[in-house]
Amino acid sequence: MLATPAIIFVAIGLLAPLALMLRNSLNHYDPTELMMSAVTAENYLKFFSDSFYQGVLWRTVWISGLSTAICLAAGVPVAYFLARHVGDLAKRMLMIVILVPLLIGNAVRTSAWMLILNDKGVLAAFLGLFGHKGQLGLMYSSAGVVIGLISVLLPFMIITLNSVFESIDRNLEDAGESLGASHLTIMRRIVLPLALPGILSGSVLCFILSMNAYATPVLIGGPTFHMMAPTVYQQIAKVMNWPFGAALAFILMAVTLILTVGVSVLVQRKYRKWSE
Amino acid sequence: MSNQEKSVRLAYTGTSILVIGFIVLPLVFIVWMSFFSNKILSFPPEGYTLDWYRRAWEMSDFRNGFFLSLRTSLIATCVALGLGLPASFALVRGRFKGRETINTILMSPMIVPGIVGGSALFVFFLEVEFLTGWRIAGSSIGLIIAHSLIALPWMIRLVTTSLISVPPSVEEAARSLGAGPLTVFFRVTLPVIRSGVIAGSLFAFVNSFIDLEKSIFLVGPDSTTLQIALINYLEWNFDSTIGAVATVQIGLITLLLLISDRYAKLSRAF
Repeated sequence: MLATPAIIFVAIGLLAPLALMLRNSLNHYDPTELMMSAVTAENYLKFFSDSFYQGVLWRTVWISGLSTAICLAAGVPVAYFLARHVGDLAKRMLMIVILVPLLIGNAVRTSAWMLILNDKGVLAAFLGLFGHKGQLGLMYSSAGVVIGLISVLLPFMIITLNSVFESIDRNLEDAGESLGASHLTIMRRIVLPLALPGILSGSVLCFILSMNAYATPVLIGGPTFHMMAPTVYQQIAKVMNWPFGAALAFILMAVTLILTVGVSVLVQRKYRKWSE
Repeated sequence: MSNQEKSVRLAYTGTSILVIGFIVLPLVFIVWMSFFSNKILSFPPEGYTLDWYRRAWEMSDFRNGFFLSLRTSLIATCVALGLGLPASFALVRGRFKGRETINTILMSPMIVPGIVGGSALFVFFLEVEFLTGWRIAGSSIGLIIAHSLIALPWMIRLVTTSLISVPPSVEEAARSLGAGPLTVFFRVTLPVIRSGVIAGSLFAFVNSFIDLEKSIFLVGPDSTTLQIALINYLEWNFDSTIGAVATVQIGLITLLLLISDRYAKLSRAF
């Protein structure tokens, strides 16, 4: 079998470690002995009884939700514009312009945002031209983290939505127009319902990526801004509390999964109602 | 064009300029900033200098990090090529049960969040070390394994899409003329899917090169990848050295994207 080496590689490099981690999450942590073999739910119970960790999870969820919603609102017009109003060559160029920031890496991209949001940075200098003085307060704030995340996620949203809009038959829009519908009506009644599955997958992608974001909360949020991914890193690599870190990782995955599946089911049910 | 159409078009163009500007401007600023002569980073620039590039090069963390990243990503791309090419072939041409399952397994490194996969791999390596005495975590072998996992799904994804567009009859024709399976693969199939392989390799390389979440657990104290060196530096300092390193990376990746754009429609990779 030609696929066997690849499957073995993924099984050893990912599936086995994940299984071991799931097992570890049921172990007991001792400050001096570190990990002790056990079968206990104490790590999960610790998470759900400690308001600090609940706060971390809650912050991760609302920041991800908000970033995804803003990406959706900003991504739809751009993706539609690229699909309908731009020629082939220009589109190719714009795609590269959107893809370079996407593939530049989170460390570099976040450093670019630090330069802008900094109190002595680009935005402050720009606002200073209009007489604005004093602190911006965007670094080390939720607003700053959301801005940083949106710039990470927007390219994903635009690329996903663009291919969805391109697959929608343009004649449907022309038909709506010839029947006298305004552009907004066409978007609301024809294009968006047809694009709904794509909108959903784009939003799910953005939500998952921001739930797991590491660089943006660490660098823009600063040491007191806690989100889930940096907390997992801290518990496993710094504190060496593997059982609790493993539990955190699985809670992060489970919450992401439950929320994305839940929202997908809800939206699809509503969609069915629309199309009836 | 009616007035209404004009205003609709204007609204789309305006929004798109704003949004794309929001995505691109930060990179423009950081490239610009890499030439500032300001000692402490601030706007506007006091003057211009190339000194930060020299400083970035003189910092061993960045220099060594760059070469470690380059080497790791190159090897990872080769591993992904060696494992992914036959696997893609089996996925597209094979007729067997459970093909969907195999596809899901092979794509799972892309689906499982980097921070979860990275931490799981780290703990796994340490357990292996505990049992056998082999030091993998913090070694270049461990890093290469992690990065090959990042690269593999991208390779398979791009190679399978280009394989799908090649009809199996091409291979059957060569076979009926007496060519062995290996000859068919290297002389017929590979040349046709060349663009997919190149695009797959470039995407595998780039995504491995910029990885942060998986690598952060696996780098050693004296050997970090460029991305980890960047984030470590950024946690305590912020000056134009970062701009210089960022500019070099932006240049390198833009170049690779321009090359892959020649071989495959870029948006298809996602």
